[in-house]
Amino acid sequence: VTYKWLSYTLGVHVNQAKQMLYDYVERKRKENSGAQLHVTYLVAGNLLQNGHVCHKVAVVREDKLEAMKSKLSTIASVHVYSIQKALLKDSSPLYNTDYDIVKTNLQHCSKFSAIRCAAAVPRPPPDAPRAPASAQSPQGQRDPDAAGTVNGHGPPAAKPPPQQHRGIMGMFAAKAAAKPQDAPKEAKAEAKEAPGVSAASSKPPIKNNIMNNFFGKAAMNKLKANSVPEQPKEEKQVVKPSVAVAEPESSPNTVAEKPGKKTESARIQQKDKKSKTKRADRSDDEEERDPENVKKKRKRIKQLQSDSSDEEDVPPSPTPEEERAPSPPPVPALKTELEPASTEVSSGGRKRKRKRVLKSKMFIDEEEGCMGKTG
Amino acid sequence: MFSEQAAPTAQGLLAPPSAEPPTFPRVAVSGYSDCSQPFRLGERSFSRQYAHIYAVRLAGMRPGLEQRARSRWGSDIALRKLSELQAGEKCCVVGTLFKAMQLQPSILQEISEEHNLVPQPPLPKYIQPSDELILEDELQRIKLEGAIDVQRLVTGTILAVYGSEQDDGRFLVEDHCFADLPPPLPWNGPSCDRFVLLASGLGLGSVSGEALLSTQLLVDVVTGQLGAEGEQSCAAHIARVILAGNLLSQNTQSRDTINKAKYLTKKTQAASVEAVKMLDEILLQLCSSVPVDVMPGEFDPTNYTLPQQPLHRCMLPLASAYATLRLVTNPYQANLDGVRFLGTSGQNISDIFKYSSMDDYLEILEWTLLAGHISPTAPDTLGCYPFYKSDPFILTECPHVYFCGNAPHFQSKLLQGKEGQRVLLVTVPDFSTTQTACLINLRDLTCQPITFSGFGADSED
Repeated sequence: VTYKWLSYTLGVHVNQAKQMLYDYVERKRKENSGAQLHVTYLVAGNLLQNGHVCHKVAVVREDKLEAMKSKLSTIASVHVYSIQKALLKDSSPLYNTDYDIVKTNLQHCSKFSAIRCAAAVPRPPPDAPRAPASAQSPQGQRDPDAAGTVNGHGPPAAKPPPQQHRGIMGMFAAKAAAKPQDAPKEAKAEAKEAPGVSAASSKPPIKNNIMNNFFGKAAMNKLKANSVPEQPKEEKQVVKPSVAVAEPESSPNTVAEKPGKKTESARIQQKDKKSKTKRADRSDDEEERDPENVKKKRKRIKQLQSDSSDEEDVPPSPTPEEERAPSPPPVPALKTELEPASTEVSSGGRKRKRKRVLKSKMFIDEEEGCMGKTG
Repeated sequence: MFSEQAAPTAQGLLAPPSAEPPTFPRVAVSGYSDCSQPFRLGERSFSRQYAHIYAVRLAGMRPGLEQRARSRWGSDIALRKLSELQAGEKCCVVGTLFKAMQLQPSILQEISEEHNLVPQPPLPKYIQPSDELILEDELQRIKLEGAIDVQRLVTGTILAVYGSEQDDGRFLVEDHCFADLPPPLPWNGPSCDRFVLLASGLGLGSVSGEALLSTQLLVDVVTGQLGAEGEQSCAAHIARVILAGNLLSQNTQSRDTINKAKYLTKKTQAASVEAVKMLDEILLQLCSSVPVDVMPGEFDPTNYTLPQQPLHRCMLPLASAYATLRLVTNPYQANLDGVRFLGTSGQNISDIFKYSSMDDYLEILEWTLLAGHISPTAPDTLGCYPFYKSDPFILTECPHVYFCGNAPHFQSKLLQGKEGQRVLLVTVPDFSTTQTACLINLRDLTCQPITFSGFGADSED
C-alpha cells in the first residue's frame, strides 16, 4: 500500500494519505498486535556529493531511515511512502502499485496532488470550433480519449461517422479485449481507411467471403442463398469501412438492404454494435433471428412505406445509446432512428429510389422468407 | 534550494491526519516565448550540396571575426584572403577549419573495393597525433602549423589566425582567436524564486526497469505528490519542465525486423511503440500539473539530421490534449520569464567529444559558446540539413542559460563575459543512468542537481 494508492482509492489529498499511513503504523505498533509491518519512508534533503550540494530524494526502508537522515545535511521532508506486510527486497513492487493505480486514473492524475496548475486544461476535441483561444478557456472535463480519437483528422467528419467507427472498433475491442487506448488508435486507422474505402466498389465479393468466414458452416448454406441476390445491389453501394461491415449476419443484411443503399450500410453498422453485445450467442441468435427477421421484414416494410414523415421527425439519437439496446424489438426503432441520420446525408432522390427498389425487393424477400422457412 | 525552505515542516507528515491539507497553486508562467523559429524547417529539399552551408557560415561570421581580430591584434593588421597571401607577410586570415583525420569514418573508404576494408567499428575518439589542420576560405585552402592546438579543434570552426605564410606553402600561426561570446541580452529575470527543471535521457523502453521508479519519483516531486508540505510548496515554484532529448532508450532502436523474415516479425511491434505509450502516460501526468517542453534526441522518433523537428503530436494522444505540452525542436531556444534558454539534446557536444581531445562536456560546451557556433561539426560528421540561406546554428545573441542534454554527469558553471554577459552552462546528465535532473533557479541563475533513488536488493544508500 503506497500513499498514492491510498490517495486514489480513498479519494483524499496525498498529504492526508501519508498522514493516514503514519497514523495507522503508529496505532498498530502501539497495539503490538504481533503482525509485523514493514514501512518505507521517503526522505529528501541536501547532500554533499562530488563537491556540490545535491538535493536527494530517496525511498528507503525503515531500517535505513536513520542512516539516510544522518547522511543528509538538511532534511527537507520525511514521510511514510508505503506499508506492507512482507519485507521488500527492492522497490519494484512499489513502482508497480503506483503505475497501476495511476494508469487506471490517468485522467485525473493531479486531482489529489498538492499543486494545482491553472494552465493545464485539456484542449477541447476538434469537434468544437477550432479556435486557438479555446485551448485557454476552461472546458469541462471532456474525455481526452475522445479528443485523441478525432484528433488529427482534418476533415470535419459528422458525428455519426466517428461514432460508427468507434462502434466498429468497439467490436474489435470486444473481441481482442483491448484497452480503451487501442480503440482510439484503431478508430483513427479505420477513419483513415473510410474516406478511401468509400470510393471502392469491389467490396461485395470480399464481404461475402468474410461473412462466410464468420459464420458456422451450418448457417453458411442458408446465408449463401440469401447473400447471392444481395450482390448486384451491393455493387452500387457506398461501402463504409470494410471488415466490420461484413460482420453482421446476412439475414439482417438482407433485411437491411431494403430501406436503401446508404442507410443500409449505416444500419449494418448499427446492427454490428447491437450484435457486438450478443456476439457470444451469435449462433443461437441466427436461429432465433430468422423467424424474427421475417416478422421484422414485414414490420419494417410497413414502417418504411409510411416512413418519410416519421424519419424527419425522429431526431437522430446518439449511436452509443443504440449500442446498448440489446433486444430485437428496439431494432426497428433503431433502424428508423438511423434513417434520419443517413437520410440527412443522402439526397431526396435516394428516398425515391429506395421506395422503388423496396417494392421489387418485397417480392424477393417474401420468396426468401419462404425459402428460409423451408430450406 | 528546496531544502532550506522546506526544512521547518519536514516532519510534518509524520502525524495523524490533520485538517484539510493545503494545495498550492503552481506559479503562473508569465513570459514564455518560443524563439526556436530558425530551427524549424518548413519545406525540406535535399537536392542542394552541403558546400553552401559552409559558405553561408563563413560569410555570416566573417564580420564578427574581423572585428575581434582587429581588437585583439591591433586595428592596423592586414586582413587578407588566402588568395592574396604573400610569403612572409604577417597578416590575419579568417576561414573555416578542416581537420584531416586518418581515423575519421568515411563512407567512401567503406565502399571502396580496392581497399577491401571492413567498416570501422565506432570508436570513442577518432583523434590521432597525425591529424592536420587546414584552413579554408571561399577559394583556397592552406595547411596550418604553429601555435595552434591541432587536437583540440574540430572541423567546421570559423576562426581567425594571425601569422605568415611560409615558403613551403604552409601557414605559420602565431595566434588565433574565435568569435568569442556573442553580444549580451538584457536581463529581465524574475524577482522571486522560479525554477525550471531540466532532465534528459529518460530512456524509456529500455530492458532494465531500474530507472522507472526514479522517473516516477521525479514526476511525483514535480506534480507535488511527494514530499512534505514545505517541499510541495517549493515544487509549486517549478515553472517549467524541459525534457532534453533521448526520451526513448537506445534499445528501442534495434531494427532487427528489417533483417528477419517477414513471417517472424509479423506480430512483433517495434519496441519504440511501447516506449512511446509509456512516455505518453508520464507526460500526461506531468502536463496536468506543469508546462512541459519536449525536445527530441538521438534515439527519438523524429528526423536524424540537425535541427531535429519536434515529435509529432499524434504520437502522444493523451498528453497532447493538454495545452501545457509543447513539442519543440532540438536545438531549442526560448525566453522564459525574461531568461533566454538555449540548448540541445547533446548530439553536438558528443560529436565534438569524438573528434577533439577535449574530454569534459562542460569544457566543450563552453568552447562552442566561445567559438560562436552551436555545432561546428554539423555537416561534416553530424547530420545536418543543407542550409543555404543562413546558418541557424551561429550564435548571434548570448543566452542566459546554455545547456546540453545526455551528458555523462552533471556539471554547471556560471560564465562571465567581457561585455557583461552572464551565462549559466549546464550539462544535464542522462537520467536513466544517473537518476539526476537539474533544477535551475531563474532568479539568480544557480543550478542544483536533484537525485532520486529507490532501494535495490543489496544497495546501501
